[in-house]
Amino acid sequence: MGEGAVTATIPTATLAGPEDLDGATRAALAELLLALADDEFVLGFWDSEWTGIGPALEEDVAYSSIAQDEIGHARALYELLAALTGRKADDLAYDRGPEGFRQARLLGLDRGDWAQSIARRYLYDTADATRLAALAGSSYAPLAGLLGKVRREEAYHLLHFDGWIRRLNDDDRGRARLTAALDALWPAALDLFTPLAGEDLLVRAGILPRPFAALRGEWLAALAPIFAELDLPLPARRGDDGAYTPTVAPLTGGRDGNHDPAFRRLHDEMTMVYREEPGANW
Amino acid sequence: MATEVLHQTDQGEAERRAAFFAHIAAGGKVEATDWMPDDYRRQVLKFVEMHANSELMGVLPEREWILRAPTLKRKLALTAKVQDEVGHAQLLYRVAEDLGKSREEMWRDLLAGKTKFHNVFHYPTETWGDVGIIAWLIDAAAIVAQQALRGSSYGPYARTMQKICWEESVHIMHGRDIVLTLVNGTPKQRAMVQDALDRWWAPIMQMHGFRTPPEKDKDLAWRIKAKSNEELRQEFLAIYVPRILEIGLTIPDPELRYDEEAKRWRYTEPDWDELTRVVTGHGPKSAERLQFRQIHYADTAWVRDVILGEGPGALAAD
Repeated sequence: MGEGAVTATIPTATLAGPEDLDGATRAALAELLLALADDEFVLGFWDSEWTGIGPALEEDVAYSSIAQDEIGHARALYELLAALTGRKADDLAYDRGPEGFRQARLLGLDRGDWAQSIARRYLYDTADATRLAALAGSSYAPLAGLLGKVRREEAYHLLHFDGWIRRLNDDDRGRARLTAALDALWPAALDLFTPLAGEDLLVRAGILPRPFAALRGEWLAALAPIFAELDLPLPARRGDDGAYTPTVAPLTGGRDGNHDPAFRRLHDEMTMVYREEPGANW
Repeated sequence: MATEVLHQTDQGEAERRAAFFAHIAAGGKVEATDWMPDDYRRQVLKFVEMHANSELMGVLPEREWILRAPTLKRKLALTAKVQDEVGHAQLLYRVAEDLGKSREEMWRDLLAGKTKFHNVFHYPTETWGDVGIIAWLIDAAAIVAQQALRGSSYGPYARTMQKICWEESVHIMHGRDIVLTLVNGTPKQRAMVQDALDRWWAPIMQMHGFRTPPEKDKDLAWRIKAKSNEELRQEFLAIYVPRILEIGLTIPDPELRYDEEAKRWRYTEPDWDELTRVVTGHGPKSAERLQFRQIHYADTAWVRDVILGEGPGALAAD
């Protein structure tokens, strides 16, 4: 999804690597990469909690595989960031306090029950598809190149969760749980499009082809026909100019390091071994 | 399977049985659609079901560490390994299903404590050192048994083992790499992995089972498995004792040595009472792990209801 709504931006110049950027743009790019990487990283952790306890063995295997993709994407993004900052990917991933993480509020929440996990995945994957479609046209060549591969894998994830949304929605009990989960998640999902510090620099350099506010509109526009087809409420309004804006207040702060207490618990667990002997080879 | 056995339906029951077991004894294979005596079918089912249960329950001690894996590489490898084990459970339950017991029935019996799973999955995992020792040595002990199972008389089981053995060999490399990294790490890391080996050695020595005399072992007589418990244990020791010692770890058994004359490994007699207690559901983590499964099975019962379009609770845990 999302493809139809996206107008390709052809970058005027190609930025081959960090050496082509000034200090301020470099810092803004670091914020963007950290946000993208942390979204994938933390979601990959929640997903891997389903490994071994999924609702059916087949789904268990599929979910574990998706979790690995996300961690793999996070690793590749941390490596791009490492090229920019000189910090190793593993240190970026493990040697930060919970407030140092930049994932959107949606990803800081507990995995919840199966309906909540599916609803979160669907909101995230659709938003991510919009974001990745835009960033595939980024003038920063290392990012555009990496995202080509990421998008191919994410397309499969979306297909998987699109199937689940429909299956849950087709059943009264499933639909009740699904709509409750979506309702609860919308405000935090909108944080995926909270403008980043230094975003204007990224847009000017063609690194971020369009501002996040515009991407949010593209995302909601892409969801509108699907939610209408499934008779699911979409908390958004179409303005006279045709642009979609949300009708619920976003829950922001993730990009500044504010997260749900659930993330603090997850962070404690995920750094438990690393903290036993920091800096050691594991 | 030999077609003459399949088509001689006019034979008497006793003759048919005799032909069946002669076929097996001669190294023949049995397929799911072949005629087979009920006792053979039940015995294969019991064996495969326990194996499937073990793969499923074996997921639990390791999955606790997926979230805690200390590097991106380890996290990816451990998730992949646990995913493989779930996949093995799925393959094995399918083999077992063809023998006449539904997956739901097998899950219910497992959750009710009516069927068994391997002794090693009844113990706690305490540190990252355990993750290395399990993936290296427990998977190695398992692969010795599983390689022999490729010669099983039950064809679908033997073929499933081909795939499983290949994946398990990747797990062993992952485990060995963790153990080697810890052994070459800080003093605390070295102590961590030695402590893990000290705690896991006894369950590993019990893992291949009692020294049942081969002539009294029905699984062996019917070639459901191809090697005796003690043969498997000897094979494991022959390969892995030198490898463990080579990297500087100490094996916590003062009696362990190779007896040149008898051409076999000598070791302190394993605590067979402990093995009996543990596999009958009285191990240190037996109750907790079953309860964990019961809780999650019940929590996701509604999802299975929705998928199958059945009434509420149709597949809920009893």
